[in-house]
Amino acid sequence: MSDINELVSNILKQVDNSDTASTQYTGTANDSSSAAGKQYGVEDYPLYQKHRDIIKTPSGKSLNDVTLDDIANNRVDRKDLRITADALKMQGDVAGAAGRKTLQMNFDRAAELTKIPDDRLLEMYNALRPYRSTKDELLQIAEELKSKYNANICAAWFEEAAKYYSSRKKLKGDR
Amino acid sequence: MKRQKRFEKLEKRPINKDVIVKEWPEEGFVAMKSPNDPEPSIKVDNGIITEMDGKKREDFDLIDMYIANYGINIDNAEKVMATDSTKIAKMLIDPNISHQDVLAYTTAMTPAKGQDVINQLDFGEMIMGAKKMRERRKPANQCHVTNYIDNPVELAADAAEAALRGFAEEETTTAVSRDAPFNALSVLVGSQTGRPGVLHQCSVDESTELQLGMRGLTSYAETISVYGTDRSFTDGDDTPWSKGFLASCYASRGIKMRFTSGSGSEVLMGYPEGKSMLYLEARCILLSKASGVQGLQNGSLSCISIPTAVPNGLREVLGENLLAMMYDLESATGSDQSFSHSSMRRTWRFMGQFIGGTDFICSGFGAEPNPDNTFAGSNEDVYDYDDIHFLSRDYGQSFGIHSIKEEDAINVRRKAAEALQVVFKGLGLPTITDEEVEAAAYADVHEDMPKRDKVADMKAAQNMMDRGITAVDVIKALIDGDFKDVADAILNLQKQKVVGDYLQTSAIFDEDWNVQSAVNESNDYQGPGTGYRIYNDPDEWKKVTDIPQVIDPEHFDM
Repeated sequence: MSDINELVSNILKQVDNSDTASTQYTGTANDSSSAAGKQYGVEDYPLYQKHRDIIKTPSGKSLNDVTLDDIANNRVDRKDLRITADALKMQGDVAGAAGRKTLQMNFDRAAELTKIPDDRLLEMYNALRPYRSTKDELLQIAEELKSKYNANICAAWFEEAAKYYSSRKKLKGDR
Repeated sequence: MKRQKRFEKLEKRPINKDVIVKEWPEEGFVAMKSPNDPEPSIKVDNGIITEMDGKKREDFDLIDMYIANYGINIDNAEKVMATDSTKIAKMLIDPNISHQDVLAYTTAMTPAKGQDVINQLDFGEMIMGAKKMRERRKPANQCHVTNYIDNPVELAADAAEAALRGFAEEETTTAVSRDAPFNALSVLVGSQTGRPGVLHQCSVDESTELQLGMRGLTSYAETISVYGTDRSFTDGDDTPWSKGFLASCYASRGIKMRFTSGSGSEVLMGYPEGKSMLYLEARCILLSKASGVQGLQNGSLSCISIPTAVPNGLREVLGENLLAMMYDLESATGSDQSFSHSSMRRTWRFMGQFIGGTDFICSGFGAEPNPDNTFAGSNEDVYDYDDIHFLSRDYGQSFGIHSIKEEDAINVRRKAAEALQVVFKGLGLPTITDEEVEAAAYADVHEDMPKRDKVADMKAAQNMMDRGITAVDVIKALIDGDFKDVADAILNLQKQKVVGDYLQTSAIFDEDWNVQSAVNESNDYQGPGTGYRIYNDPDEWKKVTDIPQVIDPEHFDM
């Protein structure tokens, strides 16, 4: 493990010393996360080794409490082995600290989507495909994302799509 | 004309069955630079890109808009765009400049600028660039696991053997799309039997692929295709915003994913807009970056016959791989489709990716004989294994796979088939007989397998989805069938999805579930004596040098 730590600290040093693209994403740029208000960095990674105590399943189970025995005795719900919004925000912190802002933005969107049921999520994706939706339909989904799931980043994504689909002719009936 | 005897024989060589054509820029038949490609340019006003590659913001199509809004590091853009492309190209191979310092420049380039930088490099320089810009320290490899009749038992056996051989990722697809749930399940069980920690995917339509992932029946996705022109993208039935949202859908379920693109796809779809393949691919790479995916599979892929038909085709293919790395993306570098009748040309197809070393040298290598490869045949298949091992040994270079013993292959194939047998039993799926298990242990091609009732399998596969079967049910069946080690591997895979470490760039797992990604195992190559070298990695080096074909000099009869 010492090799990995040394490697990580070397990377950090390198990033901190350069006036590069990456520097702006390191340090304390992100104040919107995270799970427990702590900012996670590359030194916290992998979370499985370093923060297994914090990571929980959607029903609040600790990962050490999910064993073969639990599964054999039906103590694990089929849908409980899923990532949570908190874990995604932690991974977003790590991605941002490693200089990958767009990956962090993806994880931020994903964190909002964890609450949406599979079927509805697939419908939302399909609604964004070309010529599927009217502008109003896209804006309605944006509203649903905001009001029902508190998913403001994703709502803005749909609003942006509605705007550009309208000007670039990708709405229902534009074909 | 009276035929000259040597010319007559040359004409019959396999290479002369390959089709090559003259450049035709108007139809996009040009690899690296078309007279219709735009010149690099950028204008930034108040943090917004108002002009890019000669086009004003009001004239942007959806792809331009998406790249301008999300893909380019705007803070560095004006400085980088004003920097001579030759200077940036030199940074790629200068051992005094680190991976991270190069990224500060290359992540701020527009598509035309990226294209221009790649155009400064010859093939050898691209290899040097890949050495430094690859994300993960240690290269890895990906394979295809398929057969022509979607036989689940053989899929499990082939997946297990491939995992034992060292592939870090396995990709299956179907002969008949309704078989998808069985294929995903078979490769899940087979891969975790062969070597815990191997990732696997099932390449099918977007919605099904996501559903399989949500059920825990796959662990990553890759065939999320993007294209470089608006009409091609629309024909692919997506927009940048739908693809970006899909990327987030995968991450929201803890599933690793990368996008897929490749030169020549726009030509095949008929909408290249007169642009070069490299310029259009640069747009795809930036689209992927803008979507926030961790990686990209590119290198022409199934369209490989298009770039390789024109001059500089294979230089362009390595160039687009390198360009993905220059945007800080995991790079799965193709070489996954047969394109040439010539063994020599086929080998050179992957030499740049092999010697440079990429995150996944092939994506993928056929883990079955080509007639059983339902991706239409790979550039390399099972019969090339020993050639590859010899090349690794010859050059002291990792291909991400290694030689295995015949008895180990038989044992792991049998075990995977037995594990799938108990899973089918536990889930109430059509019986797998002992005869099938035994056949799978020794099989090479699907004809070696006893016939199954295809209709019953197909119905059961659909029924399995209707019943909402997930990885938890698979684990339970394995416990009941006394395959606790395989059950444990699949449980660990699910736990990793809860944590999400493997969503980070270039992530794979070792056999003890240690994640290796660009975060904790980033590429530290910076010239001679640095970076990953297989000949300095005693365990791996032994696996490629100490192989059954080797003759011990002590027993050598002089």
